[in-house]
Amino acid sequence: MAPSLNDDSPPSTIDEAFTENNLQPFVVLQKGSSRKSDRKSSGTGRTRRTDLSSASPKNSANIEDEKEDENMNLRMEAFEFVWSKIESTIKDVLRDINMNVFSEIQTWVHQSFDTIRSLGTPEFPEATQSFPIITDANSKRLFTGLVLTKNMEFVDDLLTFEELGKHLKYQGCHIANLSSPDFTAKNGVGGCLRSLLRQFLMSSLDPADISILASWYREENCNNPVVVIIDDIERCCGSVLSDFILMLSEWVIKIPVILIMGVATTLDAPRNILPSNALRCLCPFEFTLGTPAERMDAVVEAVLVKPCSGFIIGHKVAVFMRNYFVSQDGTLTSFIRALKIACTQHFYTEPLSVILLEFASEEDNLVLEIERYGLSPEVIWKHVFELPSCQRVRLNKPTSESLAHAFSELKRLQNQWRAVVLCLYVTGKGEKVRLLDLFCEAIDPESYNQGEFDTNMKAEKDPVLSSSRIKGHFICKAVRLVRDLSTAQLGNLLKIWENLTVGIPEINGKVKELLPLLNAEDGKSSKKDLTVTPRRHTSRIQLNIEKDSKSLSDKATNLIECMVRDYMHPTECIPFHEIFCFKDADKLRLALIGDPRRRIQVDLLEFQKLLCCRCCTSSSNALLPSMHDTSIMYKLAQEHGDLINLHDWYQSFKSIVLCPNSKRKPRQSPLPKKRKGIKEAESQSEASIQARFCRAVTELQITGLLRMPSKRRPDFAQRVAFGL
Amino acid sequence: MATEESPQVTRRATRSYSASNTAIESTNLPESYKPTINDLGFRQQPLRLEDLLSSFPGRRSQILELLRLLGPLNSPMFPILVYGGPSTGKTSVTLQVFRHLNRPFIYSSCITCYSPRILFESILNQLLFHRKDSGHSYSSVKRCERPSDFVNYLREALENVLTNLKGNSGKVSSKMSGRPDGTMVYLVFDNLERIRDWDKSSTILPFLFNLNDILKMPEVGLIFISNTSPDTYYLNIGYVEPIPLYFPDYTEDDLRHIFMANQTNSRLYASFLDVVLRPFCRVTRQVDELAAAFSSLFKKYSEPLSDKEVAPNEEMKRRLFSHIRPHIASALNETFQVRSQPLLKAETNEETKKTNSSRMLGIREDFDKIDFHMSTSAKYLLISAFLASRNPATLDASLFDSTGVSDSRKRKRNCAYWKNFKYSPRACYNLTLEYMGI
Repeated sequence: MAPSLNDDSPPSTIDEAFTENNLQPFVVLQKGSSRKSDRKSSGTGRTRRTDLSSASPKNSANIEDEKEDENMNLRMEAFEFVWSKIESTIKDVLRDINMNVFSEIQTWVHQSFDTIRSLGTPEFPEATQSFPIITDANSKRLFTGLVLTKNMEFVDDLLTFEELGKHLKYQGCHIANLSSPDFTAKNGVGGCLRSLLRQFLMSSLDPADISILASWYREENCNNPVVVIIDDIERCCGSVLSDFILMLSEWVIKIPVILIMGVATTLDAPRNILPSNALRCLCPFEFTLGTPAERMDAVVEAVLVKPCSGFIIGHKVAVFMRNYFVSQDGTLTSFIRALKIACTQHFYTEPLSVILLEFASEEDNLVLEIERYGLSPEVIWKHVFELPSCQRVRLNKPTSESLAHAFSELKRLQNQWRAVVLCLYVTGKGEKVRLLDLFCEAIDPESYNQGEFDTNMKAEKDPVLSSSRIKGHFICKAVRLVRDLSTAQLGNLLKIWENLTVGIPEINGKVKELLPLLNAEDGKSSKKDLTVTPRRHTSRIQLNIEKDSKSLSDKATNLIECMVRDYMHPTECIPFHEIFCFKDADKLRLALIGDPRRRIQVDLLEFQKLLCCRCCTSSSNALLPSMHDTSIMYKLAQEHGDLINLHDWYQSFKSIVLCPNSKRKPRQSPLPKKRKGIKEAESQSEASIQARFCRAVTELQITGLLRMPSKRRPDFAQRVAFGL
Repeated sequence: MATEESPQVTRRATRSYSASNTAIESTNLPESYKPTINDLGFRQQPLRLEDLLSSFPGRRSQILELLRLLGPLNSPMFPILVYGGPSTGKTSVTLQVFRHLNRPFIYSSCITCYSPRILFESILNQLLFHRKDSGHSYSSVKRCERPSDFVNYLREALENVLTNLKGNSGKVSSKMSGRPDGTMVYLVFDNLERIRDWDKSSTILPFLFNLNDILKMPEVGLIFISNTSPDTYYLNIGYVEPIPLYFPDYTEDDLRHIFMANQTNSRLYASFLDVVLRPFCRVTRQVDELAAAFSSLFKKYSEPLSDKEVAPNEEMKRRLFSHIRPHIASALNETFQVRSQPLLKAETNEETKKTNSSRMLGIREDFDKIDFHMSTSAKYLLISAFLASRNPATLDASLFDSTGVSDSRKRKRNCAYWKNFKYSPRACYNLTLEYMGI
């Protein structure tokens, strides 16, 4: 787990987080192993490709292979297409989320610039002179935008600040992006000035002097503000930052600098970091970015709930990804990466995922041309109708029409599901019901099956029990919220529902039935407000109104319950969903977290599989001298408890290495019957064996499987890893 | 931090100057601007003594003292150390005095010049009439890092400037041409206290204080400006002590005069000051802090008034006071006020209102008070770090120090262990390296 987290933490790899590069280490590792298991072990059942190839006739194996290759290429093409679509959607969503704040910041920047200009616009000699221009006590104040990112993990926000820089640059500002490595105590204020000059002047100058900046600004046409963006002030060195601020404040009229600082925690942060004389120079304004949870919801809504690419994830995968987001890393970047890995894995293992290409590109009329997918039709039909979800339903005729029909049915059910989830989301939005949680519950096939079962068992006459049939805490919460709404809010909500369900006539009709009731109610209540009523009646009338609204909200509650019950088919309950849906959470976990220590142990114990050398393939468990030293040592270590006696270990290692035949010798076999003539060579080999032993121990220590002898027990090494 | 309030006269002069000169200046391209000897002066209309005194309320004695210390034209002087708390007008008074006297001076602030090299080069650049520009890739005129080099360059440059000044002094009435008077050059070092942080003040600070003796040029005057008093500089180590000139904090009356300058509605502002000045003076007397606090408070104060020009009567004053009173207390405690954009604020307010209205009483308690996102494992990490901070130091060593406490004993034992082998550890190690090389 450690390496996957480490990938995120250094700021330099942020750009790569979205690109292919960052994915590679684990994917390559996993790809290799999965291909191996594909070819070698056919009993896993997880990889359907294996079933396919084993089921296909043996004589046409070559043709099958070729076809498979072609299919693979097509799948990769489809993956590229689908992923690019998802990626661009994510980008758009994130940009839209930030847009409001960005334009807010931009207008503020220009306002502050005008304010600075109104204090005085110095001419060239004035602006480059060394003594300050003093007009006003306020003239030393720096306009500072504090951007609250509300996120401890700053990985996502680096991208945001880059975007902000681009946005402002587009509006004609001079931009410099500084971050915490520029504000270290070691480099002092010179470090950040140098980085500032490098970004503005495009050249690095040795004595980084702010007067250079003043000259440069005058040589540019000085009609644009200079914006300095500091990503994360919590991580900056306070004294350097305050020096920087004091220096800028001396020059603020000559160089109209406007600071924008990212604050991860609260507004107290600058107060904690900066001394009061630096704080006095700031003229702070506050801006708030969307919280990570909001962004996450937006991404989930756009990519997974709304129709985007056709690719979806199963319940287990969704839960895994949510837990990963909430408890482990908490960055959107890692979530997106997980999504990408899931997508890659899906296209890698699922031969029919090629269909997604058309599923994604064409919206309605899906024409299936099986021949184009590279595989022979027989194989495809066999594969399609062996899908577990399909076996439940029993399609009687394996024809292309029936398949197309099944797909359109799937699409229809998915649309219903989407509409219901969005309705729930809209309902719960004000009460912090997160779409991610809602999504995880809504996609759960268990709860749906159970619900179905319950409906079969119970009649619908009991309205109190009906709500208990809906499983899931968050869905329940959203449903309960409907009941508590006032009439006006309910009206708004119903209108939103109506818009959301436009494509689905069944639900839309029911929502429309409720709307006139609402209007009538409105009329009633307004009429009652208008008529002047005696005081003693008002309470009764209010009671009436409450009763009416009660009934209306009851109806709405019933409606949403019915929607959840009848129309929210999780994708995993629909036939043929395997083609579009990635369900293998274990594989994702392995790819994402990697579990390198386990990998090392497995590789040490089963090194034959990797090395494939002729000498060791004799498949017996006996230890041979031709084996790799470290794996011999590790195998020997398996026999010990958590403490390994170094002497014993060494002796057994020596005996194995020296022994010419594969038979295991007893431990104490210093070869008493050796001849005098080879004494020289013997001692030489003794030295080399000791060296090999040392190296193997060191390697085991480096890989974290062994702890070196402690001072308390100098003759014992300690095993660290037990089991896999 | 020696800023100053806004003297009305100065400001007006600045504006008229820039207005009158824009026609000439704007025709010149900035690149073609070549600094001359005129740039050593203030380059603005000299100030009359009355204006100077009136623009700095409460600083009359200090100004007169400074003028006395500087002496008449072309008279040598001892170094001066101007000191006083932040924001008491040290820098402004000094600069405006030079404007009044119209004498050539070199100014360098030790905040901007954050290292000896930059300080030296900045002084030399000014003396040699050098401006950094793209033409010579923003380089300084001379590369100068050591004090000894600096002295040589400085002497050279000063002699050059002085001959230049002497040659010009006789010719024309200098007041008219904007040329600085006299044949003395003054070096002003601002924010001197910052130098103490550079390399522990071992070389630069004594060097600067000693500069007068090193140069041995009577035509050079040194003025140091500092936040801290002279006894923080260990002055008694063998050189002429600079003459201290103390700028005390402003009194309440001075502050009233300062803030009353250039107000549009002086009567309204006076009534405002009556209310706020006294409580604030107990907290701080720094002009810049007060100015920041007052500007926002005055906006609040005059909020209820439709006509900002109206002169308030007693009744109105009383109402305004009751309006402003709750804000004063909060502003007193708050030195760092974060404002948010009105538009944004309105939006968030609306949102909170919405959530408030839709919230049922008692259904939901606000248990997570932190309003920023933190992953669960990060929270655990924080908790564990907190718990670990409670550990005694001895426990720390046994828990987290894997090598143990005493290294020497361990090494001895290790040697004993290595003796089990026939060969010395060194040889084994070399062999190991060989193996690894393969």
